[in-house]
Amino acid sequence: MQVTVGMGPRSRPAGESGLGWVRGRLLWVYAVLAVPLAWVLAFVAWPSFSTLWQSLWALDAVGRPTGFAGLGNFRALFAQPLFSEVTLNTVTYAVAATGLSVAAALGLAVVLARVRRDQVGARGLLIALFSPTVMPAIAAANLWLYFLAPRIGVVDWLLRALGSGGENWLGQPGSALAVLVALFVWKYAPYFTLFLLAGMQAIPPNLRDALRLDDPRGFSAWRRVLLPLLAPMLLFVTVLALLYAVETVDPVYVMTQGGPNNATDLVMYYLYQLGFEFFAWGPAAALSALLMTVLSTLSGLSLIVLERKAFHW
Amino acid sequence: MALAMVGAVWAFPTAWVLFATFWHAGHFTVANLSETWAAAPFGRYALNTAVIVGGLFVVQAVFGAVAGFVLARYPFPGKGVVTALFLLQVVVPVYAVLIQEYRIVEGLHLLNTKVGIMLPYAVSGIAVLTYRQAFRAVPRELEEAARLDGYGTFGVFRHVYLPRALPATLAFAVVSVTYHWTDFLWPLMVTDSDSARPIAVGLAMLAQASEAGLQWRVLAAATAVVVVPVLALFAAFHRRILAALTTGLDW
Repeated sequence: MQVTVGMGPRSRPAGESGLGWVRGRLLWVYAVLAVPLAWVLAFVAWPSFSTLWQSLWALDAVGRPTGFAGLGNFRALFAQPLFSEVTLNTVTYAVAATGLSVAAALGLAVVLARVRRDQVGARGLLIALFSPTVMPAIAAANLWLYFLAPRIGVVDWLLRALGSGGENWLGQPGSALAVLVALFVWKYAPYFTLFLLAGMQAIPPNLRDALRLDDPRGFSAWRRVLLPLLAPMLLFVTVLALLYAVETVDPVYVMTQGGPNNATDLVMYYLYQLGFEFFAWGPAAALSALLMTVLSTLSGLSLIVLERKAFHW
Repeated sequence: MALAMVGAVWAFPTAWVLFATFWHAGHFTVANLSETWAAAPFGRYALNTAVIVGGLFVVQAVFGAVAGFVLARYPFPGKGVVTALFLLQVVVPVYAVLIQEYRIVEGLHLLNTKVGIMLPYAVSGIAVLTYRQAFRAVPRELEEAARLDGYGTFGVFRHVYLPRALPATLAFAVVSVTYHWTDFLWPLMVTDSDSARPIAVGLAMLAQASEAGLQWRVLAAATAVVVVPVLALFAAFHRRILAALTTGLDW
């Protein structure tokens, strides 16, 4: 932690006394902040408010308000044939993707913590693990689409060598959602590992050494001492994973378009469909209001966890 | 051994596509690549992406540095509210208010433009908080010494504070660039022609078309066009990029 607040009169800029100077400085401060603040009001505060406000209005096919609707949009949304299915899909996907990616991230963190910088192949390992992190989700989805494709994909080729195969993994409801979960783990688990490694670095090395002497196999020390120390970072990563999972839309767009049989229709893609394919702007407005609440809560939560961890505002 | 396994598993999907793109009939080839390059305006997409991502970074950094400087060094009435507004920008992701952002951009007649894609992201709360943190760490004595040398507020900002925020700027650049060049749903909604489309959207369009036509080689090669430059960049700077991804949140 740094001490950053001013300490005593000596640290103030010379000549701060004098009312005119103070007033001039205030004017200058507000002038500098005016543009970014106006922008935040126009592009963050206003859309947040109008997302909630518009969900209460009946909207026509181009999205213009035609009259007050109360909770009518929400009733219409809940009555949509796909709504409960999409909710179930999203919850299943988010829970599985979050659980598996955080578990994988923890495993990777344990493995990577032992890799030395100069070890043979360390560079290759880092590139292999983190290339999914820096590529667009669209590109990642394409890679998976290609390697799972029936007849030409390598997975099918391997399975055929084992005597089965010919399977269209994206063509069946259950396996298609599982593929999306696996893709999420592949893309994000290494990224989450970075945060866990940063958390592990905060654990004093002499504590680690002492534990290693006490308990060479390290399992119970890991569980009883290190895991609790890592808990805030784990919580942060879990919230982040949930947020990313709820926001998932790119692989749905490229790989399944919500199919087969709507089994991979996730909430963000559904919102896009409601608005831009079905032109059902009323239900879309209601869904937006619900999504805004969930997403903002999650991202607010991640900030609170992050701040508690040691970072400071 | 375990490490090699993990690495191999993770590298596999990417390696397979690169192999399928560059290896045909027993030898190395760039035929797939050049064929795909001609199938979609990748140059256009790349240029659009560069303008959007570069422009956003510059605008976010300028607003972030100026607002961060004021928040770090000057007490003024309403500071708490101002900080809270910048935090609000971090807490409410663009994806949470997507349709309203679309309405605003539509109302400004900026659909299908690069400016329209950039507009909702132009001020970054993360940039403001990152710079605030970096500027707070600058010793006040340096500022006083510079003022005694006759520098005004702008001179102090320019010659004392900004140079010391260079590591923070680089870390923020990595976070901002990785986020925006991979962004998809928002630019998809805003664009309906190739004139402003960034590469992630173009790639998705091409993927859908080639998937429907079962042109798997085109799909593989198009993905390779996007992935190879990133892999090269990442291979060259991987330590700095990885470090930046976590310190970018250190505010």
